[in-house]
Amino acid sequence: MESDEIKALYDARLGRYQAAIALEPTDRMPIATGSNYFAEVYSGNDHQQTIYDPEKWLAAEMAFVRDFPEVDVLRDNRIYAPLFDAVGCRTYRLPGRDLSADDQFQFVENEYVRPEEYDRLIESPLKFMLEIYLPRILGDFSEPGSIRANVALLKGGMAFVHMGQVMRNRAIRLQQELGMPQPMTGAFLAPFDVIADVMRGLNGAIMDMYRCPRKLTAACDALVEEMVNFALATADPLKRYPIFVPTHKPMFLSPEQFDSFYWPSFKKTLNILIEAGYTIRAYLEGDWSAHWHHMLELPKGTVLCDIDTQADIFKAVEDIGRHHCVAGGIAESLLILGKPAQIRERVKLLCEAAGRDRGLMINGGCNIPYDTRPENYRALIDAILEFGGYDAALKPAPKRNDGRPSKPPEKVPKMVTPWENRRAELGGIKGDEDLIRGPWEQLEAAAYAWVWQWVF
Amino acid sequence: MSELAEALRDLKEEKVYRLVDEQIDQGVSPLEIIARCNEGMAAVGELFSSNVYFISQLIYSAEILKTAMKKLEPILTGLQTPGSQGKVVVGTVKGDIHDIGKNIVVTLLKGSGFEVLDLGVDVAPEKFAAALQETRAKVLGLSALLTTTYPAMKTAVQALERAGIRDRVKVIIGGAPCNEQVREFSGADYYAKDAVAGVNICKQIYGGV
Repeated sequence: MESDEIKALYDARLGRYQAAIALEPTDRMPIATGSNYFAEVYSGNDHQQTIYDPEKWLAAEMAFVRDFPEVDVLRDNRIYAPLFDAVGCRTYRLPGRDLSADDQFQFVENEYVRPEEYDRLIESPLKFMLEIYLPRILGDFSEPGSIRANVALLKGGMAFVHMGQVMRNRAIRLQQELGMPQPMTGAFLAPFDVIADVMRGLNGAIMDMYRCPRKLTAACDALVEEMVNFALATADPLKRYPIFVPTHKPMFLSPEQFDSFYWPSFKKTLNILIEAGYTIRAYLEGDWSAHWHHMLELPKGTVLCDIDTQADIFKAVEDIGRHHCVAGGIAESLLILGKPAQIRERVKLLCEAAGRDRGLMINGGCNIPYDTRPENYRALIDAILEFGGYDAALKPAPKRNDGRPSKPPEKVPKMVTPWENRRAELGGIKGDEDLIRGPWEQLEAAAYAWVWQWVF
Repeated sequence: MSELAEALRDLKEEKVYRLVDEQIDQGVSPLEIIARCNEGMAAVGELFSSNVYFISQLIYSAEILKTAMKKLEPILTGLQTPGSQGKVVVGTVKGDIHDIGKNIVVTLLKGSGFEVLDLGVDVAPEKFAAALQETRAKVLGLSALLTTTYPAMKTAVQALERAGIRDRVKVIIGGAPCNEQVREFSGADYYAKDAVAGVNICKQIYGGV
């Protein structure tokens, strides 16, 4: 059970994190990495254990928090390998299964969808997913209707629920035993990334920008609703934590390409989620410096932008740091190969550059790497405490209501058979309708979200 | 600059194919057509270096080139290809299966007239050493995306030492997690910040001999 002391700790950490994202005054710069890979393997567990054995992962994070109690957030989930195994997912190579147990899991890009199939995606995204996309990326579902495929769906559904319990349990234990909030909950992708990551691949998507630009744009537009739906299905219902969006392909695009193909549908998706009352944590992977000025088009203090090591953090702080909080500044190589004194120097420089009027959370480039030297991580924390203080008199507390209007989007959550249709089929309800409707809709929404998890 | 080179430089895909077809029909030597294409690719590389083009445009030009080369294949058989600029062995290091960056480098190297042995991904250190011994290549390009690969880069360089060929091979590292600090740790000779920089280093190494 959560003690008063743990609850106070949780509230202070969450309040500090939320204030920093909103560019509001707080006591100090939060120590708030989104992806803390270092913590995932902190008790010496290998990469296979992390993704197959939830207890081992939790033990690693618990040990990490005990050694680094100054940390403000710690992520509870990434991937859960049994779910991938249940359906034979082809888009990842997993440690212990396809790679050495000491290697990290890796995404495999491929051209699973042909350009002439855009029309099917545009016409009905869900039908496209079930009939074209999933049979190609889920090995056990490659012959829909077969016994193996039917069983794969059952196993996949059960594994999804199991994963939900595992992740929820970890979040609750991190919160109640250690007072640790989440850096983000729920996720989505920019529509262009859905296409360029898992459907057409980078090369395919690049060719499409020249060969069938209108189809590509229409497909991106068709995916907006789907990404909004998935984001809200997986987000924190209490809206404490930002929703996560890793961005993968802008680093390859020219500004003209980004403006025509990437940004319009991405901006639409972001705006709907922001209007629904959420904040976003966006990993701007690679060098986004030719594109990040677009973030100024979104409401102030709504998108925490992680700046990758390939980009210039000082330029990011200057370009967008008065409008959104940015995170980053410490190269992975410095955490892995550098010395504590170098880390301290770097943190000092970053704090001076950001000053008080620009939002900055010092972090690795979108992550803290697995091989981080513990003494370097300690130096990072100590330096942030030394140079990243704002106003010690302020007592950070979680936001109750940030004043932004909350406008839930229409047609969410998406369902294949909405309750109205089901009720009509039944021809009327004899008892308490809500008792039937609630679970019906919950399962419909979960099944719909299940289908879309496979674009990640 | 020839019309074909300009079309490739300007990423006019259909025009490139049309010109290649026409020139084949006109009996232009396939080696001359390749030279024109390489001129266009060099211009693309320059536009990339001066920040006019981005990586997507490098990839697109490489795809166009690939298709154009396929058209030439049937008439290239039996022809003496021009002497190569030099041999380069390339691969993604052990523990990493990413290849987008490596593939761009390979295409640009070939487009610049280098003979490339691409060992693929997740390549063991000994395999690099063996390939260098076999080909007598003077350059090894190590690619990586993951930050966990620093030790793998180092062991790849050490494998060359064990094989007794370290002094005749220059090692270039490249990829998102690389920088000068990583180069120093790995014992490599050069860090290439992007694909075009890598090709230029290869030219420098072979040009200086």
